[in-house]
Amino acid sequence: MKRKLIAAVGVVGMMVGVAACGNGGDDKPKSDASGGAKEITVWVMDGSAPKAWIEQVNKEFSAKHPGVTVKVEEQKWTGIQEKVTTALSENTPPDVIELGNTQTAGYAVTGGLADLTKDKAQLGADAWQKSMLASAEVDGKLYSAPWYAANRVVVYDKKAYEKAGVTPPKTRDEWIAGLEKLKASDPSAQPIYLPGQSWYILAGFIWDEGGDLAVKDGGKWKGQLATPQAAAAMDFYKKLQSYSTAPKDKDEATPQQSTDIIPKGGVSSWIGLGWEAGGAEKALKDAGKDADFGYFPIPGKTADKTGTVFLGGSNLAVAERSKNKELAKEWLALATGKDQMTKYATEVKGALLPNQVGANFTPAAGSFAEAMAKAGLNGKITPVTAGWANVETEPNPIKEFMTKVLKGEDAAKAGAEADKEIANRINK
Amino acid sequence: MSTTTAPNEPAQQLRTRRPLRPATVAKNLGALLLALVFVFPVYWMFSSALKPNSEILTKDPVFVFTPTLDNFTKATGVENFWTYVTNSLVVTVGAVLLALLVALAASFAIARMKFKGRKGLVLGVMMAQMAPWEVMVIAMYMIMRDAEMLNSLGVLTAIYFVMVLPFTIWTLRGFIAAVPVTLEEAAQIDGCTRGQAFRKVIFPLLAPGLMSTSLFGFITAWNEFAMVLILNKDKTAQTLPLWLTQFKTAFGNDWGATMAASSIFAIPVLVIFIFLQRKAVGGMTAGAVKG
Amino acid sequence: MTVHSQGATTSAPQDAPHQSAGRPKAQSPAAGPRPTPPRGGRKQLPSGWLPYLLVLPAVASMALLLLYPLIKNVILSFQDINKIEFIQRKYPFGGFANYTQLIGDSNFWTVVVRSFLFTFANVALIMVIGSLIGILLNRLGKWMRLVLSMALVMAWAMPIVASVQVFYWLFDEQFGVMNWVMRTLGFSGYEQHNWFETGLSTLTIVTLLVVWGSIPFVALNMYAGLTTVGAELYEAARMDGANGWQTFWKVVFPNLKPFFLVTTFLEVIWVFKAFTQVYAMNKGGPDRASEILPVFAYVEGQSQAHYGLAAAISVLTILILLVVMSFYFRLILKQEEEQ
Repeated sequence: MKRKLIAAVGVVGMMVGVAACGNGGDDKPKSDASGGAKEITVWVMDGSAPKAWIEQVNKEFSAKHPGVTVKVEEQKWTGIQEKVTTALSENTPPDVIELGNTQTAGYAVTGGLADLTKDKAQLGADAWQKSMLASAEVDGKLYSAPWYAANRVVVYDKKAYEKAGVTPPKTRDEWIAGLEKLKASDPSAQPIYLPGQSWYILAGFIWDEGGDLAVKDGGKWKGQLATPQAAAAMDFYKKLQSYSTAPKDKDEATPQQSTDIIPKGGVSSWIGLGWEAGGAEKALKDAGKDADFGYFPIPGKTADKTGTVFLGGSNLAVAERSKNKELAKEWLALATGKDQMTKYATEVKGALLPNQVGANFTPAAGSFAEAMAKAGLNGKITPVTAGWANVETEPNPIKEFMTKVLKGEDAAKAGAEADKEIANRINK
Repeated sequence: MSTTTAPNEPAQQLRTRRPLRPATVAKNLGALLLALVFVFPVYWMFSSALKPNSEILTKDPVFVFTPTLDNFTKATGVENFWTYVTNSLVVTVGAVLLALLVALAASFAIARMKFKGRKGLVLGVMMAQMAPWEVMVIAMYMIMRDAEMLNSLGVLTAIYFVMVLPFTIWTLRGFIAAVPVTLEEAAQIDGCTRGQAFRKVIFPLLAPGLMSTSLFGFITAWNEFAMVLILNKDKTAQTLPLWLTQFKTAFGNDWGATMAASSIFAIPVLVIFIFLQRKAVGGMTAGAVKG
Repeated sequence: MTVHSQGATTSAPQDAPHQSAGRPKAQSPAAGPRPTPPRGGRKQLPSGWLPYLLVLPAVASMALLLLYPLIKNVILSFQDINKIEFIQRKYPFGGFANYTQLIGDSNFWTVVVRSFLFTFANVALIMVIGSLIGILLNRLGKWMRLVLSMALVMAWAMPIVASVQVFYWLFDEQFGVMNWVMRTLGFSGYEQHNWFETGLSTLTIVTLLVVWGSIPFVALNMYAGLTTVGAELYEAARMDGANGWQTFWKVVFPNLKPFFLVTTFLEVIWVFKAFTQVYAMNKGGPDRASEILPVFAYVEGQSQAHYGLAAAISVLTILILLVVMSFYFRLILKQEEEQ
């Protein structure tokens, strides 16, 4: 209701804005912003922004900009791409939007995101981690501010490992040997819980083999799942998966491994993100059980290097059609600045890596964050190209590929089918 | 379908004539089994909603449990819950009433008057019933977006109204056509205007038709998901179907809350059905209820 | 989206009048004396205008909110609109490209065939089982009839959005009650059986849901229709020595033909457009194997952001539906002429 009033008030502003539509409202003076009641809308994903943190960000923001309120709307992951796409086409889109790092490039090329290249100084871009910056830029232009990154580690039940006499492995072989021991020590438990479609984990294995998900070949991208590297990676995935009774055609979110599966017990280890580990711990405690988790990076092929992991994360972008671009940029600068990022990292206890080293949280020994930071050194992201977002949309061909191979189909054949679909989508 | 005086006799006669006991037993058993099959999903929804979470995610279902309202508290404790409720009610009731009003006029003309283009109109109404609204959402979205009419309950009401309209016209037309013209003429001879004749003669006879079409309209609008999802991103302009699906999150599918929300969502429809259906579905169940 | 379980009856019109013919008579005298030129008389519009005035609101609103979006949809189907164009609001003309792409796409034809099979299977099951239950209702004692019809009403009244959630939950791989039922009945392999493993199994469950939700409409209306078939007709059939089956074909069916026609028509269009049930159940998966036309259009359009292509799919869907239904329209128009 309130928003509609504001929309009505904004009509006048819009009429002015229409003429300036193409080049955006950058030149709108700040005086405009400080006068009268204004609201900027921020879309964050479910689970990204701890309430306490974002509330104090907004408090600080409102203190700097009297009369401006920040409306934070939490979005569900399901159907988010459709929602963001339509939202960016609207006249009053959310002003700031959180985008997955693998999807940012896809939106950048649509013209739906504001070009932030000129605002680098204001945003403090120099301090950003280079590995995270990569996903925020397309062709040298900046379209978003990196926010956080995270990667997965193996979470294990210390008691089960102790009982089986297994210690955290350093190599894949040790890992498998440990799983064998776990199986022998408690045949009713799953040595590891691994659903068939955790494609981010598979991506790590493919990178370990020296392969990739897709490569650019003569101006065109093509899928790389029909390669021997992908087959070898899938082979290892299949071996790991054979220690789990998890569904072969689901990913880790259906059912949610952290809150639906782990709290039930009967799982000695699993691969997850920080918030998942936290969620599982909380659910176990709520159920009156104790949670004694240990963490280790996904082992590499040799002991000198941990397994390559997918460096997931999120960026924050400003919508090109935002009516309050300047305010949005200022909010962005505040939220992703060193001060607030330090608070952020502390708030999430290091489970998410902040966008700059200076904001890092020193994790406690033996914590999730410690293992994650170690594993994150060997992190990679999916191909940075506009078309990648299309590949990830459901039905995701990588997931279908995995399920097919796990069910016995030939990896080369399934890979060729997936590559065809990937090529189809990535070049759009 | 009929009516208050609807003949129950055939049923009764058939019944009394049936001497075969085993057949009777089989029939009743079959009916009982069918009743169970039809009711089970509804029962399971309510029972899952009332279970504590620890007894929902079990491999073997729990049938005996201490009911708790936790899930309902969680489902209704969501931000904007009452806004969703009000929005759903406003949009649904608005669309249904509007449809009844507009359809009454149109169906009266179609059923009772001769005019050029009448046949085309009938055909148009027939075809309009087939409109695949779900695949038109993008076109509708682009129209509303370009007209600056997103996030509007009024627009939503209007769309639902048009969704329900063809069926309403079609059904009411049948009811009006079934009222003998002589009745109307008699009323006019008695000094009624045509309008009065409509009000006093035809309208009362339409009650079952009005009931059944409003029931149809209510369910259509109450359930609608695809349009509101894309048109109204502003949470203050959203409706209950969107609320219903929000308990599946990155942190897990909260089945208890989802089932509680489904129950809350289904209850008004169930109640309306139980109240209205006897009239709406006409004499059909009058026989069943009164025997 | 249109709902499948509708709260309306269709066999109504035929017999509506008889019943309350008495009521209005009591009311009409209240109209008082007969001032032949009544109030409205003077101002009355030329009678030629009145029908147009009456249908105007309906026509106008349908033109604005149904016809216009449809036309917009057709225009879209000739444009090459993907994510970039959509966000930039550009509408480049693409000619028949979307259509030629579809017609040359074997996936599209698979989906078309699947849609027909799905619709046929569902409507057949709904009509046969629904009619049988209607007949059963007619033959039950009053208590059993009350129990069964209440159960039917419950299923009928369940909003689709809610019932999809419930069915999904019933068939959940890990905690679903159906796996337990199968285990209890002694079947092996249902420890963690995945009911949504293939497109066929997914559509089977969708079919269960659709049939479960639609039967009450057919059954209850069938029962209502049966009560209007005069007892003497059964009598006569019995005298002729007809058995139950013959009675059905000779007495019941001809009398309820309009009911069967209308109901089948409605079920066909409702099932053909069953978007929510299929999409919400498994998003058209696994591997797009449970997509029917509306879901195909949605996945191509919304998820893959090929808006022009999706519009072309929807236009073809409408055309297919029109062709399939054309015989029915002819029938209705014929009826109109006879009136």
